[in-house]
Amino acid sequence: MTDWCMVIDLEKCVACQGCSIACRMENNTPVVSPEEAKNGREMRWNDVFPLPVHLGPDQGEYPNVKMHYSTRPCMHCKNAPCVKVCPVQATFTDEEGIVRQNYNRCIGCRFCTVACPYGVRYFNWFEPQWEETLAEYRNPDQLVVKGSLEGPAVRPVGVVEKCTYCVHRLVKAREQAKVEGRDFRPDEYVPACVQTCTGKARFFGDLDDPDSTVSQLSKSLRATHLLEDSGAHPKTLYLAEG
Amino acid sequence: MTKPLSRRDFLKVGGVAAGSAAALGALKNVMSAKADSVIKTASEEKFVASTCHLCSAGCGIIVRVADGKAVKLEGNPMHPVNQGALCPKGQAAPELLYNPDRLTSPLKRDRVTGATTPITWDEAIQTVSQKLNGLREAGHPEQAVLMHGDTRGQMRSFLTRFMEAVGSPNTISHESLNVAAAKLGMYLTQGIYGLPAYDLENANYVISFGANLLEAGSNPQRTISGYTFLRRGRATRGKVVVIDPRQSITASKADEWIPIKPGTDAALALGMANVIIKSGLVDADFVKNYCFGFDNFASGGERKGFRDFVLENYDPIRVEQMTGIPSTTIARLAGEFAGNGPAVAIMPGKGGLLNGGFSGVYTAMAVHMLNALVGSIESKGGVMTQRYMPCVDYPKLPSDAVAKKGLATARIDGAGSKFPLGRNSYQSVADQILEGAPVEALFLYDANPAFETPGGKRFADAFAKVPFVVSFSSFMDESAELADLILPEPTFLERWGDDHIEGLGYPGISLYQPVIEPLYDTMNTGDFFLKVAESMGGTVAKAFAWKSYEEVLQFRLKDIGADWELLKELGVWFNPGYRFAKRGSQHWIENVVGSERLNAPRDGYFDLYSRELNCFLGEMKKDELAKLGISQSGDGAILPHYEATVFQGDEAQYPFMLNIVTLMSLGPRSDAANMPSMQEISGMTVRETWDSWLEMNPESAHKLGLVENDRVKIESPFGAISTKVKLVAGLHPDVVNMPFNQGHTAVGRFAKGRGVNGLEILNPASEPLTGLASFTNTRVKVTK
Repeated sequence: MTDWCMVIDLEKCVACQGCSIACRMENNTPVVSPEEAKNGREMRWNDVFPLPVHLGPDQGEYPNVKMHYSTRPCMHCKNAPCVKVCPVQATFTDEEGIVRQNYNRCIGCRFCTVACPYGVRYFNWFEPQWEETLAEYRNPDQLVVKGSLEGPAVRPVGVVEKCTYCVHRLVKAREQAKVEGRDFRPDEYVPACVQTCTGKARFFGDLDDPDSTVSQLSKSLRATHLLEDSGAHPKTLYLAEG
Repeated sequence: MTKPLSRRDFLKVGGVAAGSAAALGALKNVMSAKADSVIKTASEEKFVASTCHLCSAGCGIIVRVADGKAVKLEGNPMHPVNQGALCPKGQAAPELLYNPDRLTSPLKRDRVTGATTPITWDEAIQTVSQKLNGLREAGHPEQAVLMHGDTRGQMRSFLTRFMEAVGSPNTISHESLNVAAAKLGMYLTQGIYGLPAYDLENANYVISFGANLLEAGSNPQRTISGYTFLRRGRATRGKVVVIDPRQSITASKADEWIPIKPGTDAALALGMANVIIKSGLVDADFVKNYCFGFDNFASGGERKGFRDFVLENYDPIRVEQMTGIPSTTIARLAGEFAGNGPAVAIMPGKGGLLNGGFSGVYTAMAVHMLNALVGSIESKGGVMTQRYMPCVDYPKLPSDAVAKKGLATARIDGAGSKFPLGRNSYQSVADQILEGAPVEALFLYDANPAFETPGGKRFADAFAKVPFVVSFSSFMDESAELADLILPEPTFLERWGDDHIEGLGYPGISLYQPVIEPLYDTMNTGDFFLKVAESMGGTVAKAFAWKSYEEVLQFRLKDIGADWELLKELGVWFNPGYRFAKRGSQHWIENVVGSERLNAPRDGYFDLYSRELNCFLGEMKKDELAKLGISQSGDGAILPHYEATVFQGDEAQYPFMLNIVTLMSLGPRSDAANMPSMQEISGMTVRETWDSWLEMNPESAHKLGLVENDRVKIESPFGAISTKVKLVAGLHPDVVNMPFNQGHTAVGRFAKGRGVNGLEILNPASEPLTGLASFTNTRVKVTK
């Protein structure tokens, strides 16, 4: 069974934040006001940030300092806490290993935002807004599953949204293959962040296929997960620096 | 009326649903990505190849146009610079295109009231052509001046040709703010006036002297591609060492970060040269047979060569005192550099070299000479010489007597006269005008000097003395606000244009084409000048016989090897594979070493003793040199050496050096500051957004009693500003940093009023020999 997975090589990542903005443009996440940004209400499903997350004495003292940067999409956990706590089954793991969100079902209780060990679930505090003409560039794609919206069309206020590994791109790629009367190949689909990565640090593919790049990379000695001990069995892989 | 759901009831409902395995199974069936998924999308969709114009890299883009709207940019996989990748600026480009603060029509501004009124393009064309014809009739066409920013393709030669047809030599590039120092370093040694290209993919050892490879160097995406390939894209990874007072992202990603006392990079490079020479690690063939001035020369050896000069003056022990880097480290770096080839030493494209003295150019020379010592000039894994696509020559300029007379005058910015070695001195245009230089018409293309130069506010006074100022900006930026005519150009996604692909050595062209119809009543500045030429008549009209700027491009790019339709489809055309010239060959002499020297012989010798510089400084006496800020005399002044930076501001009173840092997000262009997503991610490294900040070493802050986010006053001899302080452990204790491109007072709603502009309090002086701006020689004091 296909098991979509992303691998991020932190040594090749140059913290350019291209992934953050590619994600925004693909998935129609709005810019929030500077005031709300200060409250941590930014809507970037994939964020880039310095490590350690909290400033502390472990930064080192000049000149013995080494800053680190990381980038964080959804981990698409195999034992996803967000799926477990959702009281209305708005969030679910699909049969290809992608943790998705049904925006019609979501009641905005935010259990999942609390349960997620990685902080990659984002609550729509406000009606998403694009000032004046900025709304023109929004991605017109709309994934509807059994009448329920799954993005990237704009989500309503009061729901929780998240990285979907750009699942609408997967559906589009499959449809394209169907139109062309051929089989879908797994390399026809990558999420927007993988496509744009300036350092070619991101890889995407089927973890279930032993020959895929991500399967090969998952065997690397540098391969690791974020918070391995969270119990969530995160899937998105990192290749550590060094 | 329904009873409100209590928390307890709510949890019960949730529990029941989640507990039901059957229900969950049913739900899963419903929601697989394969079955029952309907994707609705635009009814009409196309993908157009073009080029990004948000920084100097010029990445290829593929724009998704859905129902006539540009909704998404992707990197063009065919383009050799970005190879399908795209940085956040490029990704956010639709925010530029659909920006609510764009100018929508040509405007006329009343100087007294400041009010703007829309005009027609015809009126604009008439006004400009009458003005220029008036200048020509008065016999002073040279009083028309054009200042431009990053124009890399045909636009630069097109603008120059227009100004020359009118009769003005004054087409002034912004390069004195950024790459000119590096270009001069290359020119005075290798004899080519251009940025070197580095073969990072094949290098084994890379040492960067403050070159910001991964954020905002002279060609960021090119160096990112090369860097990541070198690190993890091939079987053996190369080592990267970064010399920088600040732990930039580049430095934090490198194997080794070596903090250095700011402005002493030349000493370090020469210290390394000292060890390389002493240890016998030089490429003997190259320095003996293809370099000038390694050994002492002239008949009896009475002129000092590079070797003896470096051996006498740059022992690592002495260099340690200058740079603050342990002599053992210097010796180790030298050994690693010379012993682990192919190795390449990279000079910064901007920033560090611009320290207000000629020492910045000496630094560029010294760093580039390291490459020569180990034979990395024009060799695999070393330095390549950028080649360009052959473009069809413009027809001969039909200049009349007026134009010829105008062209014979000295340039208004002092390049070639006041600044004998300079080619452009962008920021000094204001000073020249204020000192009384006659400028009757000033055009600003892709230029916002009132914001982007040190002490840029003086441009307001300068513009007040110019009777006719025209801005072609798409946004009402700080300089456009002072102009008489504001003639908005469409954004790069709506117009024709091209770029020479740089950074890979081999030649290529990247095309800009309108991906959608222009949104507003704007006009490509190329088209505008064609119409002005037509309206002016005479020789100017004859020099511009094209109907549109697109036709100009078609004419110039006829011989690149791809026809116009193919170029439009692919967006890019290049001749891949850099072929290294054999040392001393004809190809070498014509393209690689010495071919652009204006005074010294074009004999294919790499100058370790710069004969070109000797033409300028050779005859000067000690006191004349001292006036230029050069402490050495005789051969010492010609050979690259370390000159202590002459700081503005006394060290006791102003203890910190202020460094303005360009970020990956906000980038080098003013209009990018008005892209809200760029504001939102701007200060990622210091956890700050939508604002400016001051980076400071925690120890230094502690001594001043400052903690994170304290508001501080930053004062230099040139002014004072106020912002918040951020503690950054990876920063030299005597250096403070501020981000570039914040603190706009105009441009648009997202850029305006976000913090302060650090450039305001920098030294506005220009370097006396070259006309370079001063970016890193201002001291500041920081108080609560």
